[in-house]
Amino acid sequence: MGSISALHYLKPTRTTNGTSLFNFSKNRISQLPVAFRSYTVKSSVLEPPDVPRLAETARISLNSQEIEEFAPKFRQVIDWFGQLQAVDLQSIEPAIRADTEGDNLRGDVPEKFENREELISAVPSFENPYIKVPKVLNKE
Amino acid sequence: MALTFLRGIQLNPSMLYPSSYFARKHGVLYCCMRSAQTQTATQEKEQTKLKVSTQSQPKAVDKFLKDFEAVIGIETHVQLSTLTKAFCSCPYNYGSPPNTSVCPVCMGLPGALPVLNSKVIECAVRVGLALNCKLSLNSKFDRKQYFYPDLPKGYQISQFDIPIASGGYLDVDLPLEYGGGHRKFGITRVHMEEDAGKLLHTDGVDLFGSLIQVDLNRAGVPLLEIVSEPDMRTGIEAAEYAAELQRLVRYLGVGNGNMQEGSLRCDVNISVRPIGQLEFGTKVEIKNLNSFSSMSRAIDYEISRQVELHNQGQIDQIVQETRLWEEGAQKTVTMRKKEGLADYRYFPEPDLPGVTLTEEYVNSIRESLPELPEDKRRRYEKMGLSMQDVLFLANDINIADFFDTTTAGGADIKLAANWIMGDIAAYMKNEKVTINEIKLTPQELGELIASIKDETISGKIGKEILFELIAKGGTVKGLIKEKDLVQIVDTAEIEKMVDKVIADSPKQLEQYRGGKTKLQGYFAGQVMKESKGKANPKLLNKILLEKLNAKN
Repeated sequence: MGSISALHYLKPTRTTNGTSLFNFSKNRISQLPVAFRSYTVKSSVLEPPDVPRLAETARISLNSQEIEEFAPKFRQVIDWFGQLQAVDLQSIEPAIRADTEGDNLRGDVPEKFENREELISAVPSFENPYIKVPKVLNKE
Repeated sequence: MALTFLRGIQLNPSMLYPSSYFARKHGVLYCCMRSAQTQTATQEKEQTKLKVSTQSQPKAVDKFLKDFEAVIGIETHVQLSTLTKAFCSCPYNYGSPPNTSVCPVCMGLPGALPVLNSKVIECAVRVGLALNCKLSLNSKFDRKQYFYPDLPKGYQISQFDIPIASGGYLDVDLPLEYGGGHRKFGITRVHMEEDAGKLLHTDGVDLFGSLIQVDLNRAGVPLLEIVSEPDMRTGIEAAEYAAELQRLVRYLGVGNGNMQEGSLRCDVNISVRPIGQLEFGTKVEIKNLNSFSSMSRAIDYEISRQVELHNQGQIDQIVQETRLWEEGAQKTVTMRKKEGLADYRYFPEPDLPGVTLTEEYVNSIRESLPELPEDKRRRYEKMGLSMQDVLFLANDINIADFFDTTTAGGADIKLAANWIMGDIAAYMKNEKVTINEIKLTPQELGELIASIKDETISGKIGKEILFELIAKGGTVKGLIKEKDLVQIVDTAEIEKMVDKVIADSPKQLEQYRGGKTKLQGYFAGQVMKESKGKANPKLLNKILLEKLNAKN
């Protein structure tokens, strides 16, 4: 099983100041080669949170003052999560998901949602039979 | 940059190198790639349209192409034909009225939680095994964030770093028109994910600033994404890879593989490099390929475009981008340039548990797999069928089943193949029906072949009965009896008829005996008529010849 061969990736690398953080950086995750199993703990480097970038991905606008206000708050949260890095995982097989009871699957049995009217009535702009949205350009 | 370049091409149609260069070949190509029932008018139309531009083809392109090699990889999305969506119980039927098959889960309402359809895992395992992949006994779902109105949740549930299957391969037999040959293409990975809704940009709505219509019926429908290794080198190889995937999903019964409906969608990544160079060139992605032939033509166009840029010393104009295939213009055009890697911010889907497979489960599915197209082709080959027969019969699972049932009943293999590929295929094509819609059963085809072989009926009458069986059904025995069609093999009876015809045609007899021996055909025809087509032709001719020459 893949999880065993992945064990040697596990040794957490401490950052110089002893803290590490939960890494939100885009490149960290998206540039991993497909075959690489990213559930292994990556070494972490303390990077200041890129607040304008975070705001952009969340589709919210922040002015420069707000950005300044948010930066230390984000850092606090990240540092708080960073404490997890101190846990010794040497002897623990990595879990890709938290344990849950069973697979919780369902059979392939169709069931129509009964209250469609209410669903549709909650759509801000509906012109039968379509939902209407403003033209947007893909921001990839 | 590329835009001005493209404009340049448009202004100089004589320089429009690639599309027409490959055009001629393709008319032939898709006859074999498309399943029997879908090849019709469109291809003829395209063929003629393409022919127009073939004359003014610069031979130079051919020369350039020889120094370069294309590297092609394909991402395929296969829509699974489950009854319900991936994460909710909404039924999915293609063509349902817009926004009728929706619920809080697939509309992405707050608080709604996904529950995985067990059938999706089953389909993924079936496809993974059929593609000779290694399965991950423990995998998981991840969130892929992107912001677009076809995706109400703001993220797609997909699989990122641990796909359910990876590291496989697909065996492909290339069409004979292109020299045939066998190829093995690597499969990088297979993963499960959900489809997005459909966006409609309606007439009269201009592209800037106005509205888009959204239909969420398709949102949440299960997909398998199958990623190939960059193992293909030509448009033909790529198209045949896709055709084989289509065959595979149809054989496995996991999807209908219909490209027109978007149930099988291929995105192609393509780069060229000088032969001998190890590293890949800059890759370009092509979308909007909705048939195997457009896939093949788009790739060949794109190869030529990139090779031409190499030869003009404009390699820097080959940029990483997504291009669209324009069927009308027979060329690819820039859709969007990639600016760095897309930032999907994947993370494990917190609303779903991991996906666990047991060895027993995998084994039970492995045992339930049908004979796959590749195995079928190799088996047919061993049965002594020609490659042309093999490719035709194995192309469509229903035709293959029909053939298998016919021969399982003891029918002669080559004859069964000939009837199916000849008269039966012609009928299906003319009437635009599938083999499952004709009234002829494999049992009756076997009976027909046996009746001709043992000379109960003649081949000619066999053909007549065949069309009746196809159109109206019934049994061979019943029809023979009803129409009194049993072949006459009784020498005395044939002699009687021959005598009568000779006696009735004194003039012709005289001419015949006077040296006009080709009148034998006239006599044979008359006797056949007399027998209502039932006389055994060999016997008839033998007796006739004896009698005509007897009194000489």
